[in-house]
Amino acid sequence: MTNIALGLFHEPRSALAAAGTLKGAGFATPELMSPIPIEGVEEVLGEKRSVIKRFTLFGGLIGGLSGFALAAGTAVLYVHPVGGRPIITIPPYLIITYELLIFFGILFTVLGFFISARLPAFRDRVYVPETAVDKFAVTVACDDEEHFRRAEAILQEAGAEQVREVAEEG
Amino acid sequence: MQAETNNLRYADVNRDVVRSIVETGPRYYVALATAGSVTLLCFFFPWFYQLYFGIGAAGMNHPGVWGTYLASFIFWIGLSHSGTLLSCVLHLTNSSWRKAMYRSAEAMTLFSLLVAATFVFVHVGRPWFIHWSLPYPNQMELWPNFRSPLLFDVMAIATYLTGSSIFIYMGSIPDFAAVRDRTAGWRNTMYTLLSLGWRGTDKEWHRLHWAYTFLAVLIIPLAVSVHSIVSWDFAMSLVPALHQTIFAPYFVVGAIYSGTAGIVTVMFVLRKYMNFEQYITKVHFDNLGKLLLLLSLIWSYINAVELFTGWYSGTSTEYEALKFKMFGYYSWLYWEMILFCAAAPLLCIFKRFRTSFVPMLILSIAVNIGMYTERFLIVGTSLSRQYLPDAWGVYVPSLVELSIILGSFALFTTMFLVFVKIVPSVSIYEVKETMDTPTVTSNTEPLAPPEGSPA
Repeated sequence: MTNIALGLFHEPRSALAAAGTLKGAGFATPELMSPIPIEGVEEVLGEKRSVIKRFTLFGGLIGGLSGFALAAGTAVLYVHPVGGRPIITIPPYLIITYELLIFFGILFTVLGFFISARLPAFRDRVYVPETAVDKFAVTVACDDEEHFRRAEAILQEAGAEQVREVAEEG
Repeated sequence: MQAETNNLRYADVNRDVVRSIVETGPRYYVALATAGSVTLLCFFFPWFYQLYFGIGAAGMNHPGVWGTYLASFIFWIGLSHSGTLLSCVLHLTNSSWRKAMYRSAEAMTLFSLLVAATFVFVHVGRPWFIHWSLPYPNQMELWPNFRSPLLFDVMAIATYLTGSSIFIYMGSIPDFAAVRDRTAGWRNTMYTLLSLGWRGTDKEWHRLHWAYTFLAVLIIPLAVSVHSIVSWDFAMSLVPALHQTIFAPYFVVGAIYSGTAGIVTVMFVLRKYMNFEQYITKVHFDNLGKLLLLLSLIWSYINAVELFTGWYSGTSTEYEALKFKMFGYYSWLYWEMILFCAAAPLLCIFKRFRTSFVPMLILSIAVNIGMYTERFLIVGTSLSRQYLPDAWGVYVPSLVELSIILGSFALFTTMFLVFVKIVPSVSIYEVKETMDTPTVTSNTEPLAPPEGSPA
């Protein structure tokens, strides 16, 4: 069981400021929940890196190679009488290559998104439904009661309209 | 957009969009029943008739072996083009006016593609063998020929359909989560599954942004390739008036043109009948009108180039094909197309016209009638006048074909009507992004799920 301090804000700037203060005060990196993407999160909580672009690149490469292999392999295995012209014809096969490059690029991008965003996740996690409407939440893990009091004070000082203590499995 | 949504609060957007899903009036059921019945009677019944009695039930015969089924296929593929393509371009260029309308535009893409794919099944006489066009190990040693544009089509359309479905789904995940919190019963279960446990954390938003951007970057060239490939189905044949290098850009521009007109039609209907007056505003119609004007000018230019190239070739077969198109059996259709697609959209020069809803609706329908005609002329007139005069002939669609064209519009409408009750047709979070952030005075509404929401 980990105790989590959750502060609910009515506007994004105070939520972001609270998250920044918490981070500066030595807490674990706080998490924000919001109805829209908040601008400037990376300036406050540090740059975020995702592996999605690598998935896209890898998918594109796999797709391109398999596309060309499919078209060229078919031509070699099932030879059409082409009157002395090349069996493996590059221009039309590049189109198949291109289409499968995009196809696998798309599929791998989605896979990368799911893996890096840790979705789907159907187990119970800390969530406030108001953050899908018009509230902005900041959550931070606290080791003990004293830790929580400090976090609560920081959140309230930053303008939280409500601070709750919630528990998360794990 | 900004100005007109300023008096809206974040909670209003959730309320309005959820209401559009859970509150269903009798008008909706009447529309759905009508569209469903017309689909059954005018699309599926004639198709089964054709399957039972053979492809002879359609008017296609030598030399006109390409008919309205192929014209409809190109038309629906074309109509699919503005949705996802436009949405991707506007996403990458950070155009905020896209945000209220892109979801429906993308849905249009998806359903147009499905209707287009159905037309392939209708066009081939024995659709139960259509899997032969796919490469899979089989005992017959039957493999498709990857040099054929028809195979390019299979690959491109399958990719586009997959890409468009994924793109619309990814953009909807945060909205599914928002709707999940406000619904009860089976709807709650459905949206819980669809939202995949989305919570709107900073990490999730960051990942979604990048995945969505990568998808947009991948889909733009894909969309361009799809209609280029459809054009090569024709341009790579040696038929006069079809064997032209301008065909790929001609088809792509035509596709975006008819797709944009389609968006105007859909926006009008959504605005009027789904009560989205505050979200879909004059600004959208104004911008779409400017886009229509630009596209009509490019389209007209390409048409002029097509005529010029035919004339400049100096070959008798090209002359004959052009003469037949402009002054032959179908000439009235040609001039109707010029009137609807080249002349009428010039009205969009006037801002007053662009910001008037009903005239824009009429124009958008006229443009799409013209664009359907264009596709029919490409398919119908080319085979009628090939090299040998003794092989000339005229293609006239049969009642079965005409009925299936009508039915395809009903099929599209049926799918769209089902869609607006499942997926938020206006993007909740992106509309909020165009609004001012909440203040202390804007209180949240109670979040209890609506009681006894109509099924």
